[in-house]
Amino acid sequence: MSSVYRTLSKSSGKEVEAEDKSNGASGGMKKNKQRVLILSSRGVTYRHRHLLNDLAAMLPHGRKDVKFDSKSKMYQLNELAELYNCNNVMFFEARKGKDLYIWFSKAPNGPTVKMHAQNLHTMEELHFTGNCLKGSRPVLSFDATFESEPHLKVIKELFLHMFGVPQGARKSKPFLDHVMAFSVADGKIWIRNYEIREVEKVKGDDKESEEPATNKGKKSKFQQDKDTDVSLVEIGPRFVLTPIVIQEGAFGGPIIYENKRFISPNHVRSDLRKAKAGRHNARAEQKREGLGRKAELGLLGKGELKDKSGLDTRELFA
Amino acid sequence: MLFPENDDEWEDESDDEAAKKFSKKGKKSKKAVAIADEDDESDSDSDSEGGGGFGLDLARLDESDSDSEIEEPENDEEDDEEEEEEEEEDIDIDDISINGSDEDEIRATMRVRETINNKDGLLAALKRIALDTSPSVPFVFHQSVVSSKPTADAIPSIDDDLVRELAFMNQALEAARFARTQLRKEGVPFTRPTDYFAETVRSDEIMDKVKAKLIEEATSKKASAEARKLRDLKKFGKQVQVAKQQERAKEKKATLEKISLLKKKRKDGASSALGAHEADDLFDVAVEKELKGNSSGKKRSFSAGEGGDRGDRNNKRQKKDSKYGFGGKKRHVKENDKTSAGDISGFSARGMKSSGPTKTGSGPGRGAKKPFKAPRLGKSRRKAGGK
Repeated sequence: MSSVYRTLSKSSGKEVEAEDKSNGASGGMKKNKQRVLILSSRGVTYRHRHLLNDLAAMLPHGRKDVKFDSKSKMYQLNELAELYNCNNVMFFEARKGKDLYIWFSKAPNGPTVKMHAQNLHTMEELHFTGNCLKGSRPVLSFDATFESEPHLKVIKELFLHMFGVPQGARKSKPFLDHVMAFSVADGKIWIRNYEIREVEKVKGDDKESEEPATNKGKKSKFQQDKDTDVSLVEIGPRFVLTPIVIQEGAFGGPIIYENKRFISPNHVRSDLRKAKAGRHNARAEQKREGLGRKAELGLLGKGELKDKSGLDTRELFA
Repeated sequence: MLFPENDDEWEDESDDEAAKKFSKKGKKSKKAVAIADEDDESDSDSDSEGGGGFGLDLARLDESDSDSEIEEPENDEEDDEEEEEEEEEDIDIDDISINGSDEDEIRATMRVRETINNKDGLLAALKRIALDTSPSVPFVFHQSVVSSKPTADAIPSIDDDLVRELAFMNQALEAARFARTQLRKEGVPFTRPTDYFAETVRSDEIMDKVKAKLIEEATSKKASAEARKLRDLKKFGKQVQVAKQQERAKEKKATLEKISLLKKKRKDGASSALGAHEADDLFDVAVEKELKGNSSGKKRSFSAGEGGDRGDRNNKRQKKDSKYGFGGKKRHVKENDKTSAGDISGFSARGMKSSGPTKTGSGPGRGAKKPFKAPRLGKSRRKAGGK
């Protein structure tokens, strides 16, 4: 009996020690406390709304709010964030009922990143087989390119705050089953979400089979830990962000970065229209020139040749 | 075309190009050059102000923290300048007729703007909000992984969907592996136990939909594959049928040839071998009979041999055909001609007295007993019999 007690007390003592250690470690640094206010402007399409819902479902530390009814007075979002006790704001701004801009902002005092979202595909419309727990903490996978430029570093930090679920968040689940990937390609940020599936590793060596079967039960557990490999299955959503501008404050303040390679979708559309109009103009011009040439040769209507030469048959045999 | 790799080059090139193009255009060259000059001026101005891409940064490096207050008016000025430039350029572009590849270049020149990339400001902002993600901090705290090499390197063309997605997935996979080992090391639960049930991000309804879609896809694929197989089989079946027919025809031809060869041999044997005359004679008769039978068959009916494919006609039909005739000319068949009229081979005085003709009535001691005359045979039979 005493031996049992001893072992118990020993183990509990160890646990206490371990806890102390962990506390000591965490006490040294700030606790990661993040809350994200997720909301959209008026005039979002169903696709934008579904994307917002998908993201909200993945963020247990998020607070979804009703549509915000102003595009000019964005600073009001700060008050809203304060009201809801949030220190991050993710604001979906829809324009013209088709273009989506997403603002990522640290609420009280910046910075703010404005991005243009393209190629949106929601979880529902992508028929991927992956699935994950609601509120499990994702592994955030960043492209190495994020470390190369200051503005990308800022963007990465914002993503880390908003998409990374802080440890011990209220509704978070204790296991890890998905990865969010952020990659930079072609000047844009591509976001993907994958489920982590553990699969049996393909055995290449015969070591296991040679071992005696006496401690099989023990071994199977061991195997489960060691001999699985990770495979990924996509869950969705998919979207691509183009950073446009970074402001120093939260929805205000000086602009500290501007992407000159960003072309507004309005420009793209107007260029397309202009190109089309240009085609028509060119054709009209050609027609006019052709008419002019004909007129010069006197082939239009009854008009006669302008200058009759003396050798014209009508002159000669008049 | 619109996005060259190096931004600095881009600006320079576009300016040069613009200048070149404008100078090309004969009439408008004056105005254009003036604009180009203005461009240069504005560039130099902005440089001197510290407004240009990297010049700005250097200038800001020198300046102190009160930067942010001064910045705003500067930006405004720049914006104004930009607007002016753009306006002027717009007018010019309206005059110039746009055609072909020039269009792109002009558009590109329109898009060149003064950009802001205040690296100090960015780094300061970053410092203000940064979480500690150094290796000394436990991985559970942040759970973020930076990939070992840029993903863009693995993507040769951004339009190639498969390669691109694979690159993204590889990046994520690397992170997942790293995270797993790291978390195992820190003793944090990673894998979800099989008996742990909780709400998932995608509801069961949606997953059912996905499953249904997958099943539908699989079944449709299977169905189409089966249909294709059937189609192929049909095509192949036709080939088989044709081959069989050909084979049959060949076989038939071969047997006929064999028969004719046999006949020829027999004939030759009859003509050459005089020694065994009697036997040959017997043989000859048989052959002759056979031939006759064949020929008569040809005339009267399609016997089994001649019918070819229709070899197995039913017996009744065959009988009837042989009785009433089938095919060939039906008129004048039974008419008498000179020879038949003169043919009195069927007549015998004795027969007239007692009984029917002895030729046809072939039975020993039959003639005397028969009370009635046998019916007259058809012409060919009679002929055959006569000979």
